[in-house]
Amino acid sequence: MSAERIRPELEDLNVIVSGQGGDGSLTVVNLLASVLRQNGMSVYTERDVLSRIKGGITAATLRAFTGERFTIGNNIDLLVAFDIAAVPKNLRQLNNNSIVLYDNSGGPLPDGALPPEVRAFGAPLSRQAVKTFRRDIYKNSISFGLIGRILGLPDETMRTSFTERFKRMGQQILRYNLDALEVGLGLADELGFTADQGLYRIQEIEAKPHMLITGNEAMAFGFLVAGGRFFAGYPITPSTDVMEWLIKWEPKFGGVVRQAEDELSAINMAIGAALTGTRTMVATCGPGLSLMQEGLGQLGMGEIPLVVVDAQRGGPSTGLPTKPEQSDLNLLVFGGHGDFPRIVLAPGTPEDCFYLTVDACNLAQRYQVPVFIASDQALSQNTATIDPIDLGRVTVDQGKRLDADDLAKLDTYKRYAFTEDGISPYTIPGTPNGMSLVTGNEHDEFGLVSAEPVNRQRMMDKRQQKMKTMLPELPRAGRYGDQDSKIGVIGIGMCFGVILEALDTLADRGIDVQYFQPRTLWPMLDETINFVNECEVVYVLDLNAGAQLAGLLLHEGADPDRIVNILHYDGTPIRSDAVVKFIAGDLAARDKVEEVA
Amino acid sequence: MTKTFKPARPIWCAGCGDFGVQQALENGMKALAIEPHEALVIAGIGCSGSLQNNIRCYGYHALHGRVLPTATGAKLANSKLAVIGVGGDGDGYAIGGGHLVHTLKRNPSITYIVMNNGTYGLTKGQASPTSPSGYGENVEEDLDPIMIGLSIPGSTFIARGYTGQPAQLLELTTAALDHAQSGRGFAFLEVLSPCVTYNDTYRAWRTDVYDLEQDADYDPSDRGAAFMRMLALREQGRLPIGLIYKGDRPALETLATNAEFPPPALQDIDPAKLAGKYAEALRSFM
Repeated sequence: MSAERIRPELEDLNVIVSGQGGDGSLTVVNLLASVLRQNGMSVYTERDVLSRIKGGITAATLRAFTGERFTIGNNIDLLVAFDIAAVPKNLRQLNNNSIVLYDNSGGPLPDGALPPEVRAFGAPLSRQAVKTFRRDIYKNSISFGLIGRILGLPDETMRTSFTERFKRMGQQILRYNLDALEVGLGLADELGFTADQGLYRIQEIEAKPHMLITGNEAMAFGFLVAGGRFFAGYPITPSTDVMEWLIKWEPKFGGVVRQAEDELSAINMAIGAALTGTRTMVATCGPGLSLMQEGLGQLGMGEIPLVVVDAQRGGPSTGLPTKPEQSDLNLLVFGGHGDFPRIVLAPGTPEDCFYLTVDACNLAQRYQVPVFIASDQALSQNTATIDPIDLGRVTVDQGKRLDADDLAKLDTYKRYAFTEDGISPYTIPGTPNGMSLVTGNEHDEFGLVSAEPVNRQRMMDKRQQKMKTMLPELPRAGRYGDQDSKIGVIGIGMCFGVILEALDTLADRGIDVQYFQPRTLWPMLDETINFVNECEVVYVLDLNAGAQLAGLLLHEGADPDRIVNILHYDGTPIRSDAVVKFIAGDLAARDKVEEVA
Repeated sequence: MTKTFKPARPIWCAGCGDFGVQQALENGMKALAIEPHEALVIAGIGCSGSLQNNIRCYGYHALHGRVLPTATGAKLANSKLAVIGVGGDGDGYAIGGGHLVHTLKRNPSITYIVMNNGTYGLTKGQASPTSPSGYGENVEEDLDPIMIGLSIPGSTFIARGYTGQPAQLLELTTAALDHAQSGRGFAFLEVLSPCVTYNDTYRAWRTDVYDLEQDADYDPSDRGAAFMRMLALREQGRLPIGLIYKGDRPALETLATNAEFPPPALQDIDPAKLAGKYAEALRSFM
């Protein structure tokens, strides 16, 4: 039937809600996400905000789909603009099938603002909000009536989700919002979007149990479940949510969260807590990580376990506080003066964030080293639906810890005893007869300061040995796509979802590529270098200008002739079409595949 | 009994004030029956920041200036420990000055002993924050950490001792340790501890010090009066010693930890035992 074609099933929908900061774009997207989740769809949301509390053009984007995606799509199906200025800003993402719903309270869209194929609908959202409720903010709920009708959501579903969402906020607020929804439905009627006459048809899929979670939340949750009981931080976008989540949950488990006066204090509070044997974490991003450098070397020299989350944002300096980048990799791997062992892990989804944080807590105590988790703004702050985490998979390993009974069996206890694997057994303060000295000075086996050359060299070797001992225990890579293909892609963090989607598109065009997701960045595992050297060409997706990820591969022996850099550093989250275009174009230029339109 | 490290011989010059501080600390710990394995001494960088090597207990050599955040973290993670910070005036008032202010504000139950010699001895005599104008090339007015302490509403224990008066120093050290041990908050004890090599102030300080305990009218519970007295004595070129202020505020660890649980360091974190509670957190995402 032709009506079926006009109203396609909702399978993969991208909606962007944009306006002035403070307009409540995120509220609209969250409401829509919750309705679509109840209809069995998976969702992925992204926010594009500025470093200010209110004002400026901001946006929240929702992707709802029936498969598995960890990125926003390439084209926007529906753009909701509370401010006309949001239209030109998002023009790039619109295509011929896109729909624009905009607030025309301030007048109509100027002629030529949109390509003629794009259907645009104006409605006086703000004017109606102020007229009816004397509060501009109700334009959100008004817009929802229109959005729901356009998408083909039943009116009753919208009313139910409003009741669910606003009932906690009191009867009056609930009443106003429900009334605003009805105002929106009235405006939809006027535009011809009557009930059941939307542009899409909603699918009836049974909703499976799932979690809606950000990477930051997943790392915080992973830390809690791994037995993490002390967190110190300093507010810094985009890592602050880790602290916020832990402030809510740690006290219920007897854990402690402190907001320090700066990152110098935060890392040192964390060191103090870690010294007592408590599982400890800090979370920060570039500027904070720069300040924490002194503490990181101390962890290495003192052999103190700590987990450090780095939710990378645009650098250098204050850079782009709210935008994703992966330009701290060199700092994570090489930062700090002197040579000391460390581990750098790189998750790609919230689920990965959870499990790698658990791994990080175990690795930190087992090897008595700092463990970094390299996230980025998008992975840290975007929300995704994932299958419920299997808490049964979590184990706790505190490494070579000696209690009073263990000590009693020893003739002599040396905090930094030379051992074959480089790991010296440790005691925690409070353990009788386990008194020890922990220091950032070079030291002898007892922890007493020593500059004696033979001891110095042995101590350096002992610490560095841990980097070798740990190799079999480090998290292995994720492998995706056609594993027979000699064309490879490497990328981390938010690039995970982008590359997986690019792989699908490329496969549809007959280009088979395989994706290697290194989950341990440092020490670099042989499997990573082997992957590069066994491919003919490997595209390394670097969200930075300096090709830092590719640089690490080269540093560890990857063949430079096989590596092609894809660099992205304009502050936007990269989309899969850019990756597809680059790879298809490059392969065509190499005569590997026919030019693809 | 298991052998562990043998306390080191101090690296200090003969006559250094820090010997007296170490002795007072060891005797104060004995007086309060603080067991060596229950104490964690966290030391800064500088001559004074080697004290932890010389006594038998758990010791940690912190980064320069970071004694207080480290000590705060340790105390919050295990409030059963006697956490004692030691360091010098450069460590505590220059590079670590910001942390001093915030630790006074937070009031964790830790003892902090600053060995103030008014110079950077280990790096051969540069001016420190407490060096007076005219010391070497210094043209800046010196900092008065006692007045800083008094100006912070959260502070609960401020005292100054002098290594030239060891009996009083032991009394003040014991009182500071007791303040922290009894969970009343941050005990800040500055000790005038001369550097015989780069700033030998024994002779000057012997006459400059003003013992508040000889002053029957002095009331260490009156913050405002204490501040005014410090200011007046400073203007007279005097260095007040004794118990300067003692107040009453809840200690950080009582506010920032959940008393229903053991300290974080002593908890059983076996995930199987907490599965039900973790599942509750998981459900918050569903």
